This record gives sequence, C-alpha cells and structure tokens, in this order.
Amino acid sequence: MAKSVKEKTGALPVLALLLAWLVPGAGHVCVGRIRRGIIIFVVIAATFWAGVAVGGVMTVDYYGERWWFMAEMLTGAHGLVGWQQQKKVYQELARYPEIRDTSGPEQQSYIQEKLAQKKIALVAPADSIARVYAGVAGLLNLMCMFDAFMLALIGQVGEPPPTKARKQPKPETP
Amino acid sequence: MIAFTLFYNPMTIHFYNQVWLVLPLCGAVAIIYKTVRTQNLRRLPLEIVASLGYMVGGLVALAVILWLILKYWP
Repeated sequence: MAKSVKEKTGALPVLALLLAWLVPGAGHVCVGRIRRGIIIFVVIAATFWAGVAVGGVMTVDYYGERWWFMAEMLTGAHGLVGWQQQKKVYQELARYPEIRDTSGPEQQSYIQEKLAQKKIALVAPADSIARVYAGVAGLLNLMCMFDAFMLALIGQVGEPPPTKARKQPKPETP
Repeated sequence: MIAFTLFYNPMTIHFYNQVWLVLPLCGAVAIIYKTVRTQNLRRLPLEIVASLGYMVGGLVALAVILWLILKYWP
C-alpha cells in the first residue's frame, strides 16, 4: 500500500516552514538547497535593514501601521528585533505623565511630539519608503516559506536534477 | 544637535530622489523570485537581469503612458 504524504515526509514540512519564517532562507537549507538559502537570507536581511536604516527605529510600528507591521513580522527574527527596538522607545515614552495619563487622539499627539523631539518621528517620504522596503522583505519571505514548505511536502530534497536539452531532429536529406 | 544613529534616526531623503530607491527594491524582488523559481543555479544571474529588465521596463512604460494621459487628456 502506498504511504501517505505525511508518512513519507514526517514533520519536515512544518519544520521547514517554521525555520523559513524564523531565519529567512533556513527553510531552503533544511530541504538541502543551501546556496539558495544563503542568497535568500542575504537579500531579505539587506532589504529589511535597508528599510529600517531609512526609516529609523519607528519603521516597525505596531501601533501606527498594523498591516505593514504584519508584513514586517513575516521576516521572523529580523522583524522581532525591529519590534523590540520600537517597544523600548514606547516604554521610555510611557514614563512621561502627559502620555501616561491621557488616551485617544490627545495621547497620540503627545507621542508624536515626543518622537519629533527625539528626532525619530517618521515623516514623508522616508515613512513610505522604509515601510515598503521592510514590508516587501516580509512578503518575499512569505513566498520563500511557501516554497520551502511545498518542497518538503513533496519530498524534493536537494537541488533539482539538471534538465537535458532537447535534441533537434535532423532534417531529412533526399 | 542630536547625533545621527543608523537604524534609530530616520534618514533625510529629498522627495524627488525617492524614485531611484525603486531600483534596489526591484532588484531584491527579482533575486528572490528567480532564486526560488530557477531550475539551474548557473543561469540565475542571467535570469535575474532579464527579470529586472522586464520590471523596470514595465514601470517605465507605465510611467510614460500615465504621463501622456496627464499631458494630453482633454
């Protein structure tokens, strides 16, 4: 009796998916595509940190930009480090009484004012560029996660075999 | 004056210079897409260049079409 896909591949697809999320490219390394994994890691890390370099610490913003934040979290460890840096800023801001004791739009305006004083408030055009870079890095990693998961699921471990070039039929001579 | 710290303070970018930042982004998309899709890694650089050419060419064509519409639309 033929074995099911789950019996053939075991926990490899889930492991590849988790690794691909946590460290971009690790999913491909997990399925034996080491060079591709290295390329993916370097390019996604460079794209994400280029975004953070342009936008500063407020690029990964859980409070201001939820959708972009979700895309940025798809970069795994990179996104988590960016979020931790931003959390430190918010923890520091929470010490100010005018921010702590208010809520709603008034609190938001106080936060913006303090961020501007610290010279870390994101303003146009750096805000859109930074978030697009960091967010696109996350979305690209989503594609890599899906690819690593599918490769592990179908059991295609290692580089694919080289495809043979088709031979052109010789024209018949009379 | 507060000293600039990389990854902490945002960079100052002129509004008209931001269009050039689309090129590295297209490059990153082309590299990742082709790294995932290609069968033979030896052909990867060529496929990346071709893919980047299609993307940039498409964006330029779109920009020209939109510019023409804006300029000559009655």
